Amino acid sequence: MKWLSTIDDGIEKAVTGALFVTVLLMIICSMAIIVMRWFNSSFMWLEPLVRHLVFLSAFLGGALATGKGTHIGIDILGKYFESKKMWKAHLMVNRIINLASSLILIVFVKLSWDFVQVEAEFGKEVFLGIHSRFLVGIIPFGFSIIGIRFILKFILSFGSQNKGAH
Amino acid sequence: MALAAALGIFLLAILGTPLFVILGLAAMTAFHMSDVQLSAIAIEIYKVSSQPSILTIPLFTFAGYMMAESKSPQRLLRLSDALLGWLPGGVAIMGLVVCAFFTAFTGASGVTIIALGGLLYPILKNEGYSEDFSLGLITTSGSLGLLFPPSLPIILYGMVAKVDIDSLFRAGILPGILLIAILSTWAVMNGVKSTKINKKLIWGDVWVAFKGCIWEALLPVAILIGIYGGFVTTTEAASLTAFYIFVIECFIYKDLDPLKDIPRVVKESMSLVGGILLILCCALGFTNWLVDEEIPMKILDFMREYLTNKYSFLFFLNVFLLIVGALMDIFSAIIVVVPLIVPIAKEFGVDPVHLAIIFLANLEIGYITPPVGINLFISSFRFEKPVTELYRACVPYFILLILALGIITYVPLLSLALVR
Repeated sequence: MKWLSTIDDGIEKAVTGALFVTVLLMIICSMAIIVMRWFNSSFMWLEPLVRHLVFLSAFLGGALATGKGTHIGIDILGKYFESKKMWKAHLMVNRIINLASSLILIVFVKLSWDFVQVEAEFGKEVFLGIHSRFLVGIIPFGFSIIGIRFILKFILSFGSQNKGAH
Repeated sequence: MALAAALGIFLLAILGTPLFVILGLAAMTAFHMSDVQLSAIAIEIYKVSSQPSILTIPLFTFAGYMMAESKSPQRLLRLSDALLGWLPGGVAIMGLVVCAFFTAFTGASGVTIIALGGLLYPILKNEGYSEDFSLGLITTSGSLGLLFPPSLPIILYGMVAKVDIDSLFRAGILPGILLIAILSTWAVMNGVKSTKINKKLIWGDVWVAFKGCIWEALLPVAILIGIYGGFVTTTEAASLTAFYIFVIECFIYKDLDPLKDIPRVVKESMSLVGGILLILCCALGFTNWLVDEEIPMKILDFMREYLTNKYSFLFFLNVFLLIVGALMDIFSAIIVVVPLIVPIAKEFGVDPVHLAIIFLANLEIGYITPPVGINLFISSFRFEKPVTELYRACVPYFILLILALGIITYVPLLSLALVR
């Protein structure tokens, strides 16, 4: 189990680093757009680049939320078990959530990969010579990272059997 | 088959499965039943990357989190104390105002209670306020500023409902002030009863406190002037705010270290942003399917049998949204419910901007509505109190906010005065 935990920690660090760079780039590029506008100038590729950085950050941020277990959800039963301190039931609910999410994300990866293949055939260069299949590729890439984290959380939850949900 | 699928999805949802997964699953099921290729869901997801205002969500949130992690709350509390500390209830009013300021930037994500709760709670207790009053005030204040610009729920609502975000920013100001005014009146009544005032208004102290937080205190004014003076767009305001806060917190006040603290702030803020944007991505497929299948119109036809005019519709809407607010968080509710109610409200003659403010005011109350109002749980965790104690503490605030909601709902001018 420890090596799985190490993999999960590695993903966490890599994603945090990537997000740090992404957010800094977002700020620098969006500031550049404003400053250039003051001088009646612009680079056409800056705005789509910034929007795609935000799009990428959605998945990277989602991967962090998966690790922290802070995804937004209608957590009625989970909160009920937590308030009643029914830790075993809470742990069981978490396992069901992680397993179901893992399976559904595998399907998400598959259907978004199908979209990438369609783009590879019919797509075009969007900005800075980047082909649309790479931009669309953010979706299966992002869902893969989130899916892997859900799978790891599901497996690792069996290592904390007696610790309850916390 | 459809019923079984719907039941399965519902069960997974109430278990607490992430909403983006639930919405994606709902879209897959709906597309499968309508014989639409599933890869169309990915096309819908990718559409989010072409939304021009999408940049405002991460940048305003990042700016808000940087302020919450710095010593900005202490500086602003000091200014408010110097300004209002002499007034009966002044300390409580200062809490309301500063919490509203932070919530407007952090998007009512619970950060306000975490960042300010620990500072405010001992101050209120020392002033002589009761435990219930203090806990209720902090819990309620955690969502108080979400009608003020540049709140994240307003931006998200504008994107989902396709309403001009600048107009929404303007529309929220007077209703937001009304909410604070009503709660401030309650604070003054309690202040007269429970506290002893031994402070005076000293302009010298106010000036010193103002100088201490001048860079932050003027920010909301600068944003409003920037946007409504036509100097910058909302998206540009978000970029400038994030850059400005980064510079002042890291290099002027030096509260945050760019290499040690900023990665942590990025991690905290972006996990919230990621959660919201993923829901937005995955909801597009499902909500577009609902619209294609004319589900809102079918609901409208059903409602017309029971609701005969705009006012009965608004009453029904309030009750419905209060229930939604108690069960779902504001971001999920905006993405899932707004596409359904916007066309119905239009048929009943409700102004889209007014509808937005009614919607957000309801959801703001939802944060403190039992059984699962999220602020109740955050306060319970933060102050180590049973959640039932928080239920009790929030009752007077809930009643006052319902009163304010009635005014916001039935006096459209309050929301529309600054827009027209």
